[in-house]
Amino acid sequence: MELPQTGQRASANSLQITGLNHLLLNGLTRGTLVEITGSRSSGKTSLCMHILAQATQSGEVCAVVDLTNSFHLDSAAASGVHLDRLLWIRCQRNPEHTMRATDLLLHAGGFGLVLLDLSEANTSVLNRIPISYWYRFQRAIEHTPTILLICAASPQAKAASGYSLDCQARAFWLGQRPFTRLCGITVAAMQRKLKALRSEPLQILTGA
Amino acid sequence: MYACLYLPGSGPDPLLNLALEFSPYVEQTSADTVIFCIDPLRKLLGSPYQIASEIARAGYERQLEASLAIASNPDTAILLARHAKGVTLVPPGEERRKLATLPLAALTTDEKLLDILLRWGIKTCEDLAALPEPGVAERLGPAGVQLRNLALGLIHRPLRIAARQSNYERRLELEHPISLLEPLLFLFSGALAEICALLRSQSRAAQLLKTALELAGRRAYHAVLEFPVPLTDNRTMLKLLQLHLERHPPEAPILTFHLRVEPVAPQRLQGGIFLPAAPLPDKLQITLARIAGMVGEENVGAPQQLNTHRPDAFRLAAFNVQPNAEVVVPGGEIPRLAIHLFRPALQARVRLVELAPGSVAAAGVRGTVMRSAGPWKTSGEWWAETAWSREEWDVALDDGGLYRIYRQSPTEDWFVQGVYD
Repeated sequence: MELPQTGQRASANSLQITGLNHLLLNGLTRGTLVEITGSRSSGKTSLCMHILAQATQSGEVCAVVDLTNSFHLDSAAASGVHLDRLLWIRCQRNPEHTMRATDLLLHAGGFGLVLLDLSEANTSVLNRIPISYWYRFQRAIEHTPTILLICAASPQAKAASGYSLDCQARAFWLGQRPFTRLCGITVAAMQRKLKALRSEPLQILTGA
Repeated sequence: MYACLYLPGSGPDPLLNLALEFSPYVEQTSADTVIFCIDPLRKLLGSPYQIASEIARAGYERQLEASLAIASNPDTAILLARHAKGVTLVPPGEERRKLATLPLAALTTDEKLLDILLRWGIKTCEDLAALPEPGVAERLGPAGVQLRNLALGLIHRPLRIAARQSNYERRLELEHPISLLEPLLFLFSGALAEICALLRSQSRAAQLLKTALELAGRRAYHAVLEFPVPLTDNRTMLKLLQLHLERHPPEAPILTFHLRVEPVAPQRLQGGIFLPAAPLPDKLQITLARIAGMVGEENVGAPQQLNTHRPDAFRLAAFNVQPNAEVVVPGGEIPRLAIHLFRPALQARVRLVELAPGSVAAAGVRGTVMRSAGPWKTSGEWWAETAWSREEWDVALDDGGLYRIYRQSPTEDWFVQGVYD
């Protein structure tokens, strides 16, 4: 498979993500479900914030549907998210409200990117979500410019998703005790549907 | 082109209402005469002849036997409507010929001027129009020139339109109390449709909808809906009102309702062809109202950072799409490390080893600290109830997670604030 060259002309049918070109090939295809998964501290939220920042900077109106009320505003702002183009829905750990709110947003149309954050949800809660929801979401956004980005510990949409990235990370520190500082993490992401495609390690730095 | 309607003894309202069907800008010259511009109607209805037919048909439906005259200037139209019965259509340039037979008394009520002209043998408009302008100016002054121009149909002036007070409220006293939402919405639907039709006809939109209900037992219910974007669609307003009433139902059957909207200038914006699409404002408002009804109004909105260093200080403002927002070239090629917050922070038991965290135990977080960095001391707002003082640590646990924990002063309690992810 031939990877696109840097500076290749952007496709109108995709959202270009600077810095993740080698990972996402031609960007995120519009009208698809994209899953970014991984365990705690795997870098999935940082990647989602980066994608959200790029989308809002491109003038897209975006939304975050937050199951566990864990969206960190300062991290989003540090990543470059334009908060005035962001709708935040806090679902107070209610998975039914989360899915219904996402459904309403996708059917309302006009959003460039909807981030469904299920990161800190219990596995038992996630297992209770009917699989039909994901196909419904897929049908709602296909042939529209909307991208549904799902951030979770494990894959949820499975066959309904267009991309599925699995992240693993390793922290790197600076200095020796007691003058130690957390500098960031090194993320290795793999496309689940193209197992052969594994990204080069990507460094994610702290805001400091 | 201007259309003038004249009906002696009719009273001002019927003629005015008929004229308002065709234009929002109507000059009421006198109680029995109204005049309005028909140029904007040409795209909608066609030629002046077709417009005249339409006005005549509307008058016939209202049983108004008014005279109608259409001319290129208001005064010619008024003169012909008052002195020619039926429909008179004056093509541009034909004003003098059409006015020729009118008596001089039709032009002015100035007795002195009329007397002079009659003594000169001038009896009709054509006689006056035939006089040379310098001679008229020399002998009769500006009033004479004005009268001559009137006879020639040459006077062009703007319409004198008085500001009208529109009533954007509806009130209804019910014969029987209503205790169900559906029949109440049926009544609201009719009232809102009337108000919105009035708003649209006057190029206005609603920014605020105030609802006052009088309930059984002398109780009152008030609801105020403020729309982020001015609306003119009655169905959208009705849906928003329905969602509000479902969230906050009245406590007793309804005896009387009163609806009132605050009119503002409508928002007219053209989206750029190369700009990303945005949600439609009216559809977005309904969607947000539905979601707010589900998760609570305080949980939906646009996040805003507060001007303070206090950790996790934010507020949720009403979400409003800014059309044609400035687009910047996406920058920042390197992603930044983000935190997933635990809200509220998880209370933790931390065992210290050589003054640094050695192990952490909290709900869902447990492990031995493999590496740590800190303490980072922060404090602030000591003068207010929101004061904080804490020592923050970044710790890597043996489960692979990177956490931010802190010890709160002066209670010395430990909390897990969030996980780096």
